[in-house]
Amino acid sequence: MLPIARGELIQIFRNRLVLVTALILPAALSAFFIYRHDVFAAVGSLGYIASLVLFFVVGIGLYTTTVTTLAARRQNLFLKRLRSTAARDVGILTGLLLPITVISVVQIAVILSVLAVVTGTPANPLLLVVAVLATVAMMLALGLATAGLTNSPEHAQVTTLPLSLGVIAVAGWVGITGTDQLTLLKRLLPGGSATELVLDAWNGGVSVTDSLVLLAPTLAWVLVAVTLATRLFRWEPRR
Amino acid sequence: MSTTPVIDVDRLTLTYGDFPAVKDLSFQVERGELYALLGTNGAGKTSTLETVEGHRAPTSGAVRVFGKDPRDRATVRPRMGIMLQESGFSPDLTVRETVQLIGRLTERTDDTGRVLGLVDLTRKATTKVGQLSGGEKRRLDFATAVYGTPELVFLDEPTTGLDIQSRDALWAAVDRLREDGTTVVLTTHYLEEAQQRADRIGLMHRGALHREGTVAELTRTLPATIHFGLPSHAPVPPLHAKRGTDGRFLVETFGLQKDLHTLLGWAQDNAVELRDLEAGPTRLDDVFRAISAE
Repeated sequence: MLPIARGELIQIFRNRLVLVTALILPAALSAFFIYRHDVFAAVGSLGYIASLVLFFVVGIGLYTTTVTTLAARRQNLFLKRLRSTAARDVGILTGLLLPITVISVVQIAVILSVLAVVTGTPANPLLLVVAVLATVAMMLALGLATAGLTNSPEHAQVTTLPLSLGVIAVAGWVGITGTDQLTLLKRLLPGGSATELVLDAWNGGVSVTDSLVLLAPTLAWVLVAVTLATRLFRWEPRR
Repeated sequence: MSTTPVIDVDRLTLTYGDFPAVKDLSFQVERGELYALLGTNGAGKTSTLETVEGHRAPTSGAVRVFGKDPRDRATVRPRMGIMLQESGFSPDLTVRETVQLIGRLTERTDDTGRVLGLVDLTRKATTKVGQLSGGEKRRLDFATAVYGTPELVFLDEPTTGLDIQSRDALWAAVDRLREDGTTVVLTTHYLEEAQQRADRIGLMHRGALHREGTVAELTRTLPATIHFGLPSHAPVPPLHAKRGTDGRFLVETFGLQKDLHTLLGWAQDNAVELRDLEAGPTRLDDVFRAISAE
């Protein structure tokens, strides 16, 4: 698993396209939102900014890179090559996705730390960590499922659009309008309850037990996506 | 345990939807053997090979490698090396990084420098795989398959795209592996390679093993041939020689030595020149043509 992760890390830094979409684009968007935080906090709240930057990184960076990487490695038969060794399937996927996951988590930590330094610390940092990790797990699982529907890295540009833009839109919607109305719909949409959890963690004012219930829809999405992935994921290109 | 075959395929059937790619196939490969699995296009040899390698599950029947299920990668793969038909390397990694990565994942140990030297890629060690020629990629593929000198090596079309020097070097490396007792399973479109190197050949046709045996056993089933031309004034030749459209004569025989003697005696007695005389046993190519024509 670790040799695969090391090889993948080398490839991320040699392939500038991935580097730009995975790292620079979400970072630049986040920097803008933090820079104009007074405006965006007035529209929503500071928690709104936190949830948006989180979904910039996991939606544009983590999710898109996951799908593109898996589609590219399948198309050039690298997945088949890895499966010709003693490596196990779970180890192969873990190795392939570990670098971008670690990069994304570090990126989220840095961006949220900057937001905290600029605007003040979140009300419940531990709850925030839980929310971030659950969101990362959800996007990884959705990425695996989407990779099953994606034939090539070029095709990934199309197949990733609905969810990568969708979760950011949901985060924006929930962040600005809250969940007092259309509560069930907003919480069941992918990213909806995760956004609410981030809002609670950053802005405070909600009991921890009430917030933890919000983990359920996010974890349910993980379950649904993993189930879909086990049915849809292919290790070799269609012939 | 030493009597256990390295590969044991027992009544293997593989179907894709309604299409039966392999039907009721059985064969065994013994330790130290070089077994060539040959076949016409679409004969099912790639499907068979992928099942034996552990890439595919049998629809029915059983495949054992070293007495184990080949899909149990953690147990079986450290003992086998696989050269795939299509390379499947990451273009952004260098040659050395690729050999190290795949080598480490086989869980065998070896010196990367030695393996690169074996396939003459030492000077390309820091070149990205995306910049290699087709032949160089085949050699890299071979290097990853033989990393750590496994007990069993699969070579799927190993010499396609290789120049003659690389081909000779590859077979020299295979010979050295075999001296160490490695079992080799080969598929190739170059029948003369199989004819020269295989201990036994399995000939697949339409999903089944059409014939199996040593080269001699396979070629023995078809007659040997004598070809010759005659001047226009020559008398009628013996042995029921058939005249082809090109004007040359053909004799098919299971008694090559005796019939050749008869023909040469006839030519001597009649003072006839046998032009472009050729005589020899059936080649593997002819065995192939015979089954394709059926």
